[in-house]
Amino acid sequence: MEEILIHTKDLCYSYEENDHKSPVLRGVSLDIRKGEYVAILGHNGSGKSTFAKLLNGILEPASGELTVAGIDLAAPELSDEDIFQLRRQVGMVFQNPDNQLVATIVEDDVAFGPENLGVPPAEIRSRVDEALATVGMSEYARHEPHRLSGGQKQRVAIAGLIAMRPSCMIFDESTAMLDPSGRREVIETFEKLNREQGITVLTITHYMNEAARADRVIVIDDGRVLADGTPHEIFADPGRLIVAGLDVPQCTSLIHALRGEGIALAGEPISPEECADLICRALEEKKNGNALA
Amino acid sequence: MATLSLENVSYVYGQRTPFEIKALDNVSLSVREGTVTGIIGHTGSGKSTLVQLLNGLEKPTSGKVMLDGVDIWEKPREIGKIRFRVGLVMQYPEYQLFEETIRADIAFGPRNMGLSKEEIDHRVSEAAGFVGLDPLLLDKSPFDLSGGQKRRAAIAGVMAMRPEVLVLDEPAAGLDPRGRDTILKGVRTYGRETGSTVIIVSHSMEDMATYCDDIIVMAKGRVCLSGTRDEVFANAKTLTEVGLGVPQITQLALLLEERGVALPGGIYTVEAAVAALKPLFQ
Amino acid sequence: MKNIALGQYYPAESPIHRLDARIKVILAILYIVCTFLCKSALGFAVLAFSAILLILLSRVPIRTVFRAIRPLLFIMIFTAAFNLFLTKGDTAPLWAWQVTEKWTVQIFEAGIYSAVFMVVRIVVLILGTSIFLTYTTTPIALTDAIESLLSPLRVIHLPVHEFAMMMSIALRFIPTLMEETGKIMNAQKARGVDFSHGSLVKRAKALVPILIPLFVSSFRRADELATAMECRCYRGGKGRTKMRVPHLRFADFAAVVLMAGFGTGLVLLNYYGIGYRM
Repeated sequence: MEEILIHTKDLCYSYEENDHKSPVLRGVSLDIRKGEYVAILGHNGSGKSTFAKLLNGILEPASGELTVAGIDLAAPELSDEDIFQLRRQVGMVFQNPDNQLVATIVEDDVAFGPENLGVPPAEIRSRVDEALATVGMSEYARHEPHRLSGGQKQRVAIAGLIAMRPSCMIFDESTAMLDPSGRREVIETFEKLNREQGITVLTITHYMNEAARADRVIVIDDGRVLADGTPHEIFADPGRLIVAGLDVPQCTSLIHALRGEGIALAGEPISPEECADLICRALEEKKNGNALA
Repeated sequence: MATLSLENVSYVYGQRTPFEIKALDNVSLSVREGTVTGIIGHTGSGKSTLVQLLNGLEKPTSGKVMLDGVDIWEKPREIGKIRFRVGLVMQYPEYQLFEETIRADIAFGPRNMGLSKEEIDHRVSEAAGFVGLDPLLLDKSPFDLSGGQKRRAAIAGVMAMRPEVLVLDEPAAGLDPRGRDTILKGVRTYGRETGSTVIIVSHSMEDMATYCDDIIVMAKGRVCLSGTRDEVFANAKTLTEVGLGVPQITQLALLLEERGVALPGGIYTVEAAVAALKPLFQ
Repeated sequence: MKNIALGQYYPAESPIHRLDARIKVILAILYIVCTFLCKSALGFAVLAFSAILLILLSRVPIRTVFRAIRPLLFIMIFTAAFNLFLTKGDTAPLWAWQVTEKWTVQIFEAGIYSAVFMVVRIVVLILGTSIFLTYTTTPIALTDAIESLLSPLRVIHLPVHEFAMMMSIALRFIPTLMEETGKIMNAQKARGVDFSHGSLVKRAKALVPILIPLFVSSFRRADELATAMECRCYRGGKGRTKMRVPHLRFADFAAVVLMAGFGTGLVLLNYYGIGYRM
């Protein structure tokens, strides 16, 4: 589990428009190990999506180090074959569910990736069935994608990646266009993949509640890593997140507000359950304290 | 200023075909003048259909849509006038921008209304002000703007028609917290300054709790709950049962109640929770 | 808008549905040839009967099938009238009407036959091709079949795979773009565009606010789709395998033999059959 899958150091990238360069990434250094579940958090335009696109060879780094799955993406002699090898290991699910499904039938779409890899037909069949079962879409195998809900389309897209047997999946704001139930479907699907199959999951998002579920949160602001740690560590400093144009979970804000009122509360809860525990414990202690006094 | 109401409205897609779907089933509701009303519901609850009935893009299969007590379909040829009075911002409205400049695009609606040039100019800058668009951006092409700016320009395009009722279908979908707040605040400002009625369709209970006076909850083509924000959130358990959930802070309040912490009902903002919890620690 | 049926594939389990799509393309071509081979009254009767048999075999409801003919009704009536009034026979006319001194409308026996034959021919032509190609074959299977049948042309550097890929992507996106058009139209209607009233020029102008966003969005979709395809390791037809490897079964061969036999039978009927011959 300790093997490093993604390594970046001083990674920079600029968009060129009208002869002037506008820097998007200004030196990102981080390592992501195999099997991790990481959320990359940032507001629109923070550079988080650009970062994701670099990891998959859609964009080329301007300077710095970038190694993904053992392939040096900053190497000047990078070949198409290297990119091909990279993409069979690192899959990507995009934001718009409509613009990534190619085929008119769900199972044909799932087969698209393995077909490109030249997998023998009989094996494609079994991979497709297995992948659809994993995302819970088996009964829709013969459906047309345009009749599915957003969440279902994204699950088909995920199945399309599973069938390619990657070791890492990147979700580039894949939940942004979905309704709450679609969002839940997608998150539960990739969390299952991370837990059961050890697939490294990188989810790029601006939803706090999603980031709070990951094992590790990396906050990107203005093309730099602003914070990197467990969700509890990250949400312990709401001020920093708000400056970066982000929210904190309501429970976290509540605890900080109560502290501001001079109430002593130890701990950084994120979920309502943790928060309720903390408040009940504090009230209990206070009651005991009063009783003693 | 206008009051909008629905009387026994049903809407059926693909009537008399094998694909027949009843999207709305005998819906009656009324929206209070000059307030911000939120409509919330799952995908498929009928809320998107409802929105298109409000400004006459669709005609109810049965029942009436009333604007100021008059059936909007009384004179079908004049439905265009209704669309100027009830402005509709569809989902992802940035995809409908088409003019060469933002200014021209915002002016498109007012121009179709046949307003004078001075009036159009006035309305364009006023609408841009509501959504907080920098005047310097007005002469840029829509394609040079960021996603959030485009969204604001598209919303301004409907505000510039100065509708008495402004209806927005998921105005903040896909935006980050800052973008979401800018837009929802702009919408609220529009309502306050023009005295117009605002209707916001959203999935987010948190947004509803922050920005709406009244809330209508849709489920399976019917109105499942409606009333003021306090009244609706007092039914937190019903909301959870229909699978819509409640703001995280309300979840916390319910959990605390379960554990015997006595709290007043209707906690749905962080401020309210702070106010309710503070006395317990003193 | 969402329920728009692309092509008119009718999902059912039937012997024709089960045939290999490539075979169905060949059968459709043979069947078209058959309709042209037919020249005798008995032949046309057999042909009409065969079409009904095909419909029954395919398990597609007759009403659904005949819907395919409706758009061509006008052409059929026109062709029938054309043949009815303009065919001159060797026998005496059955009916004549002197309109002016120089112009007489006459109907011959041959004209009636020829009109009926033409109508049967057109109906059978449409029914036959739509039974084989649209009602029982999914558009995607059809695309694959055409790719496979045309694949020998790769030798002369024809981009057969690319062509088929384009076809299938178009099929995939037509419903999406239809839906999008509906949404954009509604959005512009909400800003006061009127599509149904006014002069032609005015209506054409009203299309601009629809077409520009639609183009922009199509290009954006195309761009995103291309990226997504590349990310799924797509690099053209080279080294690509397919999940569905069509295997020809006995029934496929039997169907071709049957169709060839049917054609031969029709030709023989032209010479030895009873009844009117063209």
